[in-house]
Amino acid sequence: MRSLLILLLLLIFAPSSQAHFGAVIPADDIVEAGESQRLPLTVKFIHPMEQHYMEMARPERFGLLQGGQRHDLLELLRPVKGKSTEQQRQFTYWRGEFTIKRPGDYTFFVEPQPYWEPAEDLFIIHYTKVCINALGLEDSWDQPVGLETEIVPLTRPYGLWTNNLFSGQVLLQGKPVPFAEIEVEYLNESSEGSPQLVPPSGPYVTQVIKADASGIFHYAMPRSGWWGFAALSEASWTLPHDGEEKPVEIGAVYWVFSRDMN
Amino acid sequence: MRRVQLCCSVGLLLLSLFFPAYGLAHKVNIFAYVDEGVVYAESYFPNGKPVVKGKLLVFDSQQQLLLEGQTDAAGLYQFDLPQAEDLTLVIDAGMGHKNEFLLRRENLKE
Repeated sequence: MRSLLILLLLLIFAPSSQAHFGAVIPADDIVEAGESQRLPLTVKFIHPMEQHYMEMARPERFGLLQGGQRHDLLELLRPVKGKSTEQQRQFTYWRGEFTIKRPGDYTFFVEPQPYWEPAEDLFIIHYTKVCINALGLEDSWDQPVGLETEIVPLTRPYGLWTNNLFSGQVLLQGKPVPFAEIEVEYLNESSEGSPQLVPPSGPYVTQVIKADASGIFHYAMPRSGWWGFAALSEASWTLPHDGEEKPVEIGAVYWVFSRDMN
Repeated sequence: MRRVQLCCSVGLLLLSLFFPAYGLAHKVNIFAYVDEGVVYAESYFPNGKPVVKGKLLVFDSQQQLLLEGQTDAAGLYQFDLPQAEDLTLVIDAGMGHKNEFLLRRENLKE
């Protein structure tokens, strides 16, 4: 009860602790022989720890990098409504199902439409990726998609145990971002049979790490489930809002799943 | 003692020459699909290297051996679809490196 009260107080009085995250969450991070080759995916814009939804317009792009080729998958997405238990109304997110046809690494990526955030007086665009492996061929998880900004994994991004170190490099227009700041959040619905996590205070909601001079960062996931990494930069361009040019926060977001070793 | 070490080193070097792929990645994989009545099987290590001259066995749904073949230099093997039922393809690359792929009946008409 006390924990729930703390969480409620955090939600009410510490809005700055909430980090926005684009999310592409597949039903599984590994598809093996004998398993269904139909892979459901959800595409959201959320506060992962609090499980708050934000309204998400139909993405600008939803695609796949596989075997060195990029494929447009936007037609697969259908709008769905959802909300957290604390939220009063429903928000739009997106759902699709992709059928795996061949072995290999599948990097799904999303470029959302700009999201206007009045509290920060800016637009937000999170270029979001996730990689799953199919049928044992590990051929391209370390390949960049070529997005405006993106995280390229240096650790194979699937088959991770809890407490494994995940390493990645932050790129902006294809070049490393020295000392990039990366926000890390746990998707607080993805633990395998564990109760939902109640952070003891604001800073526990979003972990913050800095990349080195080459834009490389490391983080060890302390719990089973999906973990999001968001490296934020300010775009060199602006977008108009009510006749005024506004800055654009562009995020490179990457999701990985960790499993307990038990 | 040095002579023993030298023998071991030479032995390991010879082994790595005979089995170069095993030093890189051990798990063998197999994938198969059907196109116009022909079954195409591909066998590979996780890093994409083909399983060369791997023994490939095809079993029917009763686990009866239907045919046996060998993958080529690209890790490929193909055969005419013998019958419209679940088929299990087994790749055996030797030294315990083995895996299988179930080609389901509903996927035979692609």
